[in-house]
This record gives sequence, C-alpha cells and structure tokens, in this order.
Amino acid sequence: MALDYHKCAQEIVDNIGGRDNIAQAAHCATRLRLVIRDNNKLNKEALDNIEGVKGMFESNGQLQLIIGTGTVNKVYDEFLAITGMTAATKDDVKAAAASKMPVWKQILKTLGDVFVPILPAIVASGLLMGVVEALGKAVPSFSGSDWYGFLDMIANTAFAYLPVIVAISAARVFGGNIFLGAVIGLAMIHSSLLNAWNVGTADTINHWYLLGHFKIGGWVVGSVRQVGYQGHVIPVIMAVWLMSRIEKWLHRHIPEMLDLFVVPICTVFVTLFLTFTVIGPVFAQLESWVLTGAQWLVKNPVGAAAMGALYPWTVVMGLHHMYNIIEAGMLSVEGGLNTWMPIASAANFAQFGACLAVGIKSRSAKTKSVAVPSSLSAALGITEPAIFGVNMRFFKPFIAGMIGGTVGAFYGAVSGIGATAYGVTGIPGYLTIKQPLQYTILLAVSFAISFGITMAIFNEDAPAAAKSKKGAGKENVPEVGGVGAAGSNVPLGLANVIIKCSGGDIYKPLNGDVVPFNKIPDETFASGVLGMGVGIEPDGDIVYSPMDGNISSVADSKHAIGITGANDMELLIHVGIDTVDMNGDGFTPYVKTGDPVKVGQPLLKFDKDKIKKAGHSDIVVVLLTNSDDYDNVQYGDNLNK
Amino acid sequence: MKTFEYTITDPVGIHARPAGLLVQAVKALDSKVTLTNKDGKSADGKKLLAVMGLGIKQGDTVTVTVDGGNEDASVEALEKFLKENL
Repeated sequence: MALDYHKCAQEIVDNIGGRDNIAQAAHCATRLRLVIRDNNKLNKEALDNIEGVKGMFESNGQLQLIIGTGTVNKVYDEFLAITGMTAATKDDVKAAAASKMPVWKQILKTLGDVFVPILPAIVASGLLMGVVEALGKAVPSFSGSDWYGFLDMIANTAFAYLPVIVAISAARVFGGNIFLGAVIGLAMIHSSLLNAWNVGTADTINHWYLLGHFKIGGWVVGSVRQVGYQGHVIPVIMAVWLMSRIEKWLHRHIPEMLDLFVVPICTVFVTLFLTFTVIGPVFAQLESWVLTGAQWLVKNPVGAAAMGALYPWTVVMGLHHMYNIIEAGMLSVEGGLNTWMPIASAANFAQFGACLAVGIKSRSAKTKSVAVPSSLSAALGITEPAIFGVNMRFFKPFIAGMIGGTVGAFYGAVSGIGATAYGVTGIPGYLTIKQPLQYTILLAVSFAISFGITMAIFNEDAPAAAKSKKGAGKENVPEVGGVGAAGSNVPLGLANVIIKCSGGDIYKPLNGDVVPFNKIPDETFASGVLGMGVGIEPDGDIVYSPMDGNISSVADSKHAIGITGANDMELLIHVGIDTVDMNGDGFTPYVKTGDPVKVGQPLLKFDKDKIKKAGHSDIVVVLLTNSDDYDNVQYGDNLNK
Repeated sequence: MKTFEYTITDPVGIHARPAGLLVQAVKALDSKVTLTNKDGKSADGKKLLAVMGLGIKQGDTVTVTVDGGNEDASVEALEKFLKENL
C-alpha cells in the first residue's frame, strides 16, 4: 500500500511539538533531518510508530527520522506544506544544530578553532622568548650582546606580529579570504601607528578625525587613535569576523565581472574603517577601565586576590600589556616596590600548573605535545600558548588556574612582597623579587592549587590515540603528524580531501596515487555496491584516520577497518585486494572496535612485502559505504584545491 | 515478523565484500532486516559497517529477522542469497 505522505507528515508534526518546536528541517536521501527546539516536547514512542517512519535517532543535535529513498522527499514536501516552513539545506540544519550550543561555548570553540592551527608558531616562540628574556636579566653582559639582540628578534617575531597570524587563521575559520585577513591583521599593527606596548611611555597619542569633531559624550565620532593592536587577539578576531561577513555579502551582491575589482577593496576599507572607528575606541575604553580598576583593586589583599582571578581574562582580551604602566608607577615612587608583579606571577604560574596537569593527564599524544611545551613557556611568564592553546579550550583548567591565581595573589599581597623591576614573571621573576622565600611559597601555592584541581576535574572529551595501543602489535603507535592545511590534525602532506559530500569531507589516509573506485582492479569494489570512493596506490605503509569518528569494526583478519563519522558517514578502509586470505599476517591495527579516532590518528600498519609475496595488490580502498545517503558525493585527489 | 537461521559456509565469513553484497540484497527488500550473531549482537542489515562488526565467521550460525513489508518474499530472497553467496 502506498504511504499516505500527508498523513505521515501530519503525524510527525503532531508528535514533535508542532511547528513552533521546529528550528530547521531538511532531508537527505533517506532521512528527514530536524532540529528541535525543546526535546522534551517529543513523543518518541509515537514517532517511532508512525506508518512510514522506519526508525529514528538523535545525532549531532538533529532528530533524524528514517523514511526511505524516494519517499522522504514526498513526506518532506507535505511536511513543509503543513508547517509553512521553507526548505532548508542540510548546511542550515547543521548550523542550527551548532547554534544550540550556549553562546559562551560557541565563542570558546571559535577561539580554539582560531588558535589551535597557530600553536606551532607561538609555542616555540613563547619558550624561546622566556629563556632569552630570563638570560638577559640574569646575565647583564648578555643582554647587550649581538646574540641577545638576534635571539630576541627571532623569539618575539610571532608575538610582535601575532595579530597577523591570528587574522589569517580567523579568516580561515570564518570563511573569508585569508589574504584579505592578512591585510586586516597587518593594518592593525601598521608601522604608521604607535606600537601598543609603547602607549604607556608615549608623550602624546595622535588622532585622525575622519568625520569631523562631532562628539557623543567624550567620544569623537569617527576618530581614530593612531595606536596599533600589538599583543591583541580579540579585536583582531572581531575585525576578521566582520570582514568575512562583509566579503561574503559583497560576493553575493556584486556582479561577477566586477567582483575582483570591487569586493576586496570594499571589504578591506569598510572593515578597517569600522575596526578603527568602532572596535578600536571600545577597546581603548575597556583598557582604561581595566587599568583604573586594577590600580584600585591592588590596594588591598582582597582586591589583589580578585585581580589574581581576573588576570588571565585580561590576557585573553589582550589588555595585559597595559600593566607596565601600573608597575612603572609603583616603582617611580622613592623606595617603591612593584607589588603588581607577584599578582601577575601567581596568575601566570597557576596557568602553568593547570596546563602541565593537562599535559600529564591527557591521554592524547596531540594534546600532550601542545600542553607540555606551552606550560613550560607559561612557567617563564609567557602564558598565551597555555591559555589559548590548552586551558581556555578545555575551560576547566582555565578556571582551576583562576583559583590558583586568586590564592597565590592573596598570599603575595598579605606577605607584602614586591619586585624592584618589571617585565618578568614566573621563574625569571626571581631576578627582580626582593623576598625569594615568600616568592617561592607564592609560586608553589598557585601551582599546587591549579595543578591539583585540574588533575582532579579535567577529563578529556575524547580519550584517543595512546589508549588504543591495547590489542595492537608490539610496535609503538606512531605519532600524529603536523598540522595540515585544513586546520585539523591532518598529517603533513595529507591535507587533501579525497571524498567530499553533504555529510562532510574525508581526508587522504596515506600518500599515493588516487584512482576512482570504478578503476580499482576488483569487480566488487569497482561495481560500487560497497559505496563510492577511491583506491590509493600507497607510497607509505601506515593508514591514518581520514575523519573524526568511532571505529565500528576491525576485521579479524586486520586488513579492513570501518569508521563511523560525522552525520553518520560510514567509511570502509580496506587494504589490498583479496588480502583477507592472509589472515592478519602483515597487518598491525592500532585501534579496536569502539575506539574514538581523530583525523590524522594512525589506524593500521601493513607490510607491503608480505602483501606482494602473497600475490595481492596493496591498493588501499577507501569507500563511503552509505554514499547513497548523501548529496553531491565527489571523489578524487585534492578535492579541496 | 519472521526469523530464520543460516550457517555460514564461506571460508572468509561475512567479510567486507560479501557483507557489501548482503547489504545490497537487503536494501532491495521492503522489509527491515536484522542480523544477530552467536553472541547475541545485532546489526541493521542495511548498515555495512554494522554487519561487518558482527565478525561472523565460517561455521557461525546467524539469525536473520525480517520485519514488515512482504515478509515471505523477503525471507525467500535472503535465504536464496545466503546459500548462493555465503
């Protein structure tokens, strides 16, 4: 009996809480994909029993109802007619699902997305900078040497031009042109502007008055303070977000033949105009408030404790470079001590403790490799890599760091310790502190508290990699490769999409020449009954995970692995043709069924010689087994280029 | 709902390729097909990775459950497929 599409759609609407409870609706080849506002209004039992609904499940914030090929689109049409909704693309549904995350989580996620790819640049620089600056303070003759000058320049390059690196990464995250992003970042630290680090010592700050001298309160509309954004992060990310919006809007509204002529220049101009006239003044105002507030707070121990908690937030906002002014002010008084430095040290050392705890507790080789060097750099007083790369991303360690910083700063204020200079914190702080014993206690307290709390409460969402050694061969699991172009942990040289569809991208699991599935020298694979995909003539002998997901099966004969990924993509990786008859000899899996895996994580090692001796082809077959469920399935080499 | 059992004779068991053929055969039917291995683990007959994950080997008995649609025709088609291929 043919299904009554209207009845089916009506019943679905009735049992999901009506039109008002639907945020988005889309369908793929077999399923109706809905984003529901309030899951409590779902009548799941009734939904499962509706005639025409063959199954339902929730995934990635979507409610998915399995209806079937050729039927789902008809039910969907009725569904739209009943609800009066307009058709949404699957991308819209995904975006709506993402937006179900709380705003602060989305912001943290965005910060993380921007920072993770740039970590290699700033972790190394942070460590080097900490060492060079400490040596310069410890050995006065060194600080005047040619080597010092040279090393200092190398070490601080990534930090001095941080806005450019951040801007490029942000442009990629927000989908803007990365070169225009670079222009925005460069403009924000242009040498025509006063370096932000020198604001405290500058006699005058010049302004440009772009719209005359019309005032609202104390603010002149359209005025631009000629100060750069060195050391800033948030204003840069905001500017690039704005740029990406403007750029996309213009691309849609400008005829293609004028596009290259009009879009880039308009994008850059409008973005920078708004950045310097609106975002800039807002941050300048914030800075002066933070400065005033900080000066007021540090006058008593309770305020100092509060500052210890707030300090890392001001690093996140990029406002911490203003503190030199406070420190210089404290020292300018005859016999004055820099009591700000212990507060900053407590806050920074607490972030070190939290970050180190993550490095120790994390089971992911990738996280460890970031957290350990980042924590060392934080111990030397450069906390950006630890905060942005590790603690802020997992957030709990950041909170632990705030608590440790609070207690440490309180102790510092109560014991009345201070420094005789400014510019260094953490371990190098010993060079300027007057009371080394109390300073040691302060560091130890800050560290111990944040380290202890982090060890107690930090849990990684997806324990991966290292754990999977169990059940694998005697060989060690190889490390994940470097950071690839996609912003995720794609092994170096493999940032290459080989299968692309509405469900997501699948990366190349190992190097080699790619052939479409219908050219694979095997009747079954070539026929497409196992899904669409590619074969790879392997150069190497290790298969890396081509997507994030869970291992759904590892064949007993160890030569084939199934992975279920985002949007239920089911991927089969099959090494060689007819290699099942080798009964596992020559194959070493690094994962087992049920393991979560990340892109770039090693899955399987195979012995090319043994495959050759067994008389088989070693082609690595990668197939999206449920490719029927997705739209726009493409396969080949370098689909992202 | 109808159920039948089948003992696998293929020396490599329900591995990738035979599993792929099986899934194709199931997709052609109008019934919901569930496979259950000797340990009681079940898989949707339309999901290749789930079927492979059952790890069914030669000599194992698999329970096939057919639900909805033309059940008699589905059972007949599946039995025929299994005998010919597995």
